[in-house]
Amino acid sequence: MSVENKVEDFSTPIGVHVRNLSVVYETNQGQIPAVNHVDLDIAAGEITGIIGESGSGKSTLAMALMNSVSKPGRITNGSVIVDGIGDMLKISNERQRRVRGKQIGFVFQAAQNSLNPLSRIGHQVLDLGRSHQVGDLRSLLRHARDLLIRLGMDADRVLMSYQHELSGGMRQRVGIMFALVLDARVVILDESTTALDMLSQASVLEIVRELHQERGLTIVLITHDMGVVADLADRIVVMYGGELAEEGPTEDLLRQPQHPYTRGLIRAIPRISGNPDEAIALNGSPPDLQTFAQSGCLFYDRCPDRIAECQAGRPIYKEISDGKKVACYKVDRRD
Amino acid sequence: MKGVLIRLSQRVIWGVIMVFVTASFTFFLVRMMPGNPVDAKYNQLVMQGLTPVQAMNKVRVMYGFIPHEPLWQQYIHYLNQIAHMNLGQSISYEGVPVLHLILTAAPWTIILVLTGLVASFIVGVLAGVIAAIKRSSPVGSAISLSGSLLHGIPQFVMGLFLAYVFTTLWVLLPFGAPYNAELTPGLNGPFISSLIRHAILPVATYALSSYGGWLLTMKSSVITVLGDDFILAAEVRGLKMGTRVRYIAHNAILPLFTIFALSIGFMLGGSLFIENIFDYPGLGNLLLHAINSRDYPLMSGAFLLITVSVILSNIATDFLYSVVDPRIRR
Repeated sequence: MSVENKVEDFSTPIGVHVRNLSVVYETNQGQIPAVNHVDLDIAAGEITGIIGESGSGKSTLAMALMNSVSKPGRITNGSVIVDGIGDMLKISNERQRRVRGKQIGFVFQAAQNSLNPLSRIGHQVLDLGRSHQVGDLRSLLRHARDLLIRLGMDADRVLMSYQHELSGGMRQRVGIMFALVLDARVVILDESTTALDMLSQASVLEIVRELHQERGLTIVLITHDMGVVADLADRIVVMYGGELAEEGPTEDLLRQPQHPYTRGLIRAIPRISGNPDEAIALNGSPPDLQTFAQSGCLFYDRCPDRIAECQAGRPIYKEISDGKKVACYKVDRRD
Repeated sequence: MKGVLIRLSQRVIWGVIMVFVTASFTFFLVRMMPGNPVDAKYNQLVMQGLTPVQAMNKVRVMYGFIPHEPLWQQYIHYLNQIAHMNLGQSISYEGVPVLHLILTAAPWTIILVLTGLVASFIVGVLAGVIAAIKRSSPVGSAISLSGSLLHGIPQFVMGLFLAYVFTTLWVLLPFGAPYNAELTPGLNGPFISSLIRHAILPVATYALSSYGGWLLTMKSSVITVLGDDFILAAEVRGLKMGTRVRYIAHNAILPLFTIFALSIGFMLGGSLFIENIFDYPGLGNLLLHAINSRDYPLMSGAFLLITVSVILSNIATDFLYSVVDPRIRR
């Protein structure tokens, strides 16, 4: 890879455009829609935070962005257009493989072990390079070393180590190195810092922010931690029951949440100073098969603001003002 | 490197202790046997007209100790003999050293069992990987079924069945004896081809009856590894199919490695049924003969050999395991 090439790479951020995407999980009780007719634009060079409670379809959506939904999940519909590459769901398997890792980096949940336990980290970097036709493996290793130093690690030791010789926080940084070492233009972080302690989390997120600014990375930050997205994201997308409930620029969305679910999420955050009882838990439980079978709004059963209309059909997800979208009858009415 | 040497020497010391314990156990077992075979032999020899001194010498040659000595002296003598690789003399093959009998029988067993073991391991493991990856397709189901079926058939049934089909129904292969007795043993073409033709059925019997076990174990091991996070991570990082299969295979084969290495240790126990059916002069047949003819020196010699080989392979497995799995290196 030549130097000019790299410079050019860095100057053109890549966006991802999801259209009408649906993913279902086949279970004994029937199909569970994990992602349901989702339209989403992940803006090039921005940090997009996707937030929602467990089971809202965030991780499935993330895997679907790379067409890597694993069984029993299945993408049934839609397209994922990556700038300059095409529809991830239509291009050949080999091309998809090359995009994964090379153009789109993925960082797993910190609790997961994303490394081969029987092979040294350095060897796995080389495996990655060979899989992606990197000619100069020596400079790839140098690049990996630089990244590891940047992430605050003893790079030479780490490259010579096996996974079991590293702590949780170190493995997580190594995971980030793997996502970045091939100079991916889009990086997806799926609950990547959730299992880390507060200090490690802060330092890892700080590095993510720096790299984002330096390289014009497009970042998708998936989390259920409001604090993390509020701190980092340019835009926030709220998911509920496999559908998008609301999205907007971070400040706007946090200051004036429109959807009752978003408001509930924000109210449920305990404050560090002040009375923890002020945090109000969201009542009810996430949607189940029965909820999906109903015709009305998925949030109806838990919604404090529900009106008769909400039971009739699913609210339509539409733009309410510049860059802000929401799916709620009540909000529609107010206008 | 120093750690490796320390580990190795620890293992070896343990091995020596275990061999010592087994050897002692064998000694007391034979000595304490109801009817006391040592005394019985002595009495028998005296009745055959030997003087007590001659009889005693003869018994000492056979068992490595003198029957009328105090027990502890007998024990010391016995251990001394073993340390000098002297396992005594056979009773049923009069005057033949036990070690000689065992060394003559061992190659036959090794040819038979080692070939069968390696063949079934390679085929079983490969089929297991395919069965696991294609487990929801008809191909995968068919492979798994073949494993379950073959695993369920006892060795001697398999042996008799193969013998019937290939030596009676279609006379394709010879039956019985390890080679054609009319040929001169040695490195000549006809002898070697006769050797191979005679070995095909017993080896096939062994391989077919072990294949299922390898297949089913490997299949479940691969399925476990397929569910591991790092395999998904490898896919999401766009690693090539070949690299991913290598990751899977390496991780999945570890548990089988132990079983394989131990099987090699147990190999010297011979394969009694197969050697018996195909009249193969291996260790299994030798042991059977020893038991049938109450040939205690031969028996304890064979037991000792089996124990030592299991202990040795255990040490080797333990040691090699730390080479193939970095997690147990220290």
